[in-house]
Amino acid sequence: MSEGMRMSIKLFIITAVAALALGITHAVTEEPIRLQNEQASVEARKGVLPDAQEFVQVDISEYKDEYPNVVEVYQGKSGDDTVGYVFKVISKGYGGDVELFVGIDAKENKIENVSIISHNETPGLGAKAAESDFLSQYTGKSAGSPLAVVRGSATQDTQVEAITGATITSKAVTQGVNSALEFYSRVLKDGGAE
Amino acid sequence: MKALKVFFNGVLNENPTFRMVLGMCPTLALTTAAINGIGMGLATTFVLVGSNLVISLLKSFIPQKIRIPAFVVVIATFVTVVSMIMQAFLPELNKSLGIYIPLIVVNCIILARAESFASKNSVFLSITDGLGMGVGFTLALLLLGSIREILGAGTWFGMPVFSDGFSPAVIMILPPGGFITLGLVLGLLNKLTGRAE
Amino acid sequence: MEYVGKIFVILISSILINNFVMSRFLGICPFLGVSKRVETAVGMGAAVTFVMAMTSLITYIIQYVILEPLGLEYLQTIIFILVIASLVQFVEMVIQKTSPTLYQALGVYLPLITTNCAVLGVAIINIDEKYDLIQALFNGVGAALGFTLAIVLFAGVRERLELSDIPKPLKGFPIALITAGLMSVAFLGFQGLIK
Repeated sequence: MSEGMRMSIKLFIITAVAALALGITHAVTEEPIRLQNEQASVEARKGVLPDAQEFVQVDISEYKDEYPNVVEVYQGKSGDDTVGYVFKVISKGYGGDVELFVGIDAKENKIENVSIISHNETPGLGAKAAESDFLSQYTGKSAGSPLAVVRGSATQDTQVEAITGATITSKAVTQGVNSALEFYSRVLKDGGAE
Repeated sequence: MKALKVFFNGVLNENPTFRMVLGMCPTLALTTAAINGIGMGLATTFVLVGSNLVISLLKSFIPQKIRIPAFVVVIATFVTVVSMIMQAFLPELNKSLGIYIPLIVVNCIILARAESFASKNSVFLSITDGLGMGVGFTLALLLLGSIREILGAGTWFGMPVFSDGFSPAVIMILPPGGFITLGLVLGLLNKLTGRAE
Repeated sequence: MEYVGKIFVILISSILINNFVMSRFLGICPFLGVSKRVETAVGMGAAVTFVMAMTSLITYIIQYVILEPLGLEYLQTIIFILVIASLVQFVEMVIQKTSPTLYQALGVYLPLITTNCAVLGVAIINIDEKYDLIQALFNGVGAALGFTLAIVLFAGVRERLELSDIPKPLKGFPIALITAGLMSVAFLGFQGLIK
């Protein structure tokens, strides 16, 4: 019995010292980690809406049922001006969820930029969707009408060329962009939720 | 002299990947690119050296019967420290290594070295052993990562290595490529060294 | 109804699409180590399934009842691995009492479930994916069934491999890995099964 007690006490001491060491490391790294995350998300938003100086999160809880794909919305501001909006949307791809940021320029009513935050698509095929060759197609498209994916070359302004061998991924990204466009046109444009 | 021998034992004779075939999960999962291989290798090396150091210090304090849980606690502590440091200062690498960082805890190499080396040897030799094993593991991951990245993506550390005419064999960076590359490399090493099961 | 559908998707995707062994590379050590006989592979699969289901439940509760309210998320790895180690100890005792044959067959590999990264992996994935308790349980069971499926199929192939004429340098691990690679190609076919 006493041997069992001794063992438990020793194991407890080891665990306690370990927890203490982790507590200290946590205290030291907490602030850098927070800053790092914050900076990363600000930069990601800036990436799709470069003109905005600061981002204010928009409360979208009342639209949750209507637009389940739209997760977060930010109003991009420069001084008192509303430059545009950044949408974080989730879409179903080939290998799982695709998360993307869509930036919409409110003044010119067009898509500023699209970026992919995370995806689980096939490397070399669907994963090409995260590259600018594909994503730059969205830049400058009108925010007024939904986009469609075509195989081969696009003939109209509302068309986006699919990645060869990854039509499902291309469609997933486009659907994500479309839900952001819809949310923008129906809810935010012309003084919606401000 | 002995230290040198211990070090090179880990790098060559008992290379954890090619000789002992340990720690296969991160080896297969993260060698899709050379840089991931190095990142994982270095993180594992840090944990190996740290846990070997602490365990050899504590070898007379830890009772035989509960040594495994005690080792696991020590290892998990170092892994968590690595994970926090990476989140704070290397967020990009942390993102691409993902879940495999906390899973360093269950990398069999580390527990195996704690059990078979650090709990029986001096502090200095244990650190050397951790370094040797870590370097051996890192080199193995770098080799596999390079092969897979070059053949599967046509790049090395992100730089293109072929002219535009080369179309990469995507299968190499998909899961099957991991298994097959490691199998072929192991077979080749057996052939070269004349060793076989 | 929608919820049931979602659970079904989690189950199928953890068994086939994101198979732990074939596409996530979790649990490779026992996959290569305990796959020489179909019988032991089945036993290992059963033990892992039990441990993974229990782990999913217990780690979930610990995460949301203890760690998060106290702001101790950073102790996750260390606490989870201790939970798994104790569970494995428990399963080992039960198997030893109820089935000495199985205990002998699984031998050294039973304690190795602790270092089976599939177990710790599923616990962490459950938290990362923000599953609720039921979803976490089904993800754990699905992942374990996927592991069992892979290891039993692989053992079947390996039993035959032993009778084949394999070039000497490829004997043992090399041919096993190449075989696993080919199986993994087959599992790639499940990608895109669920849209």
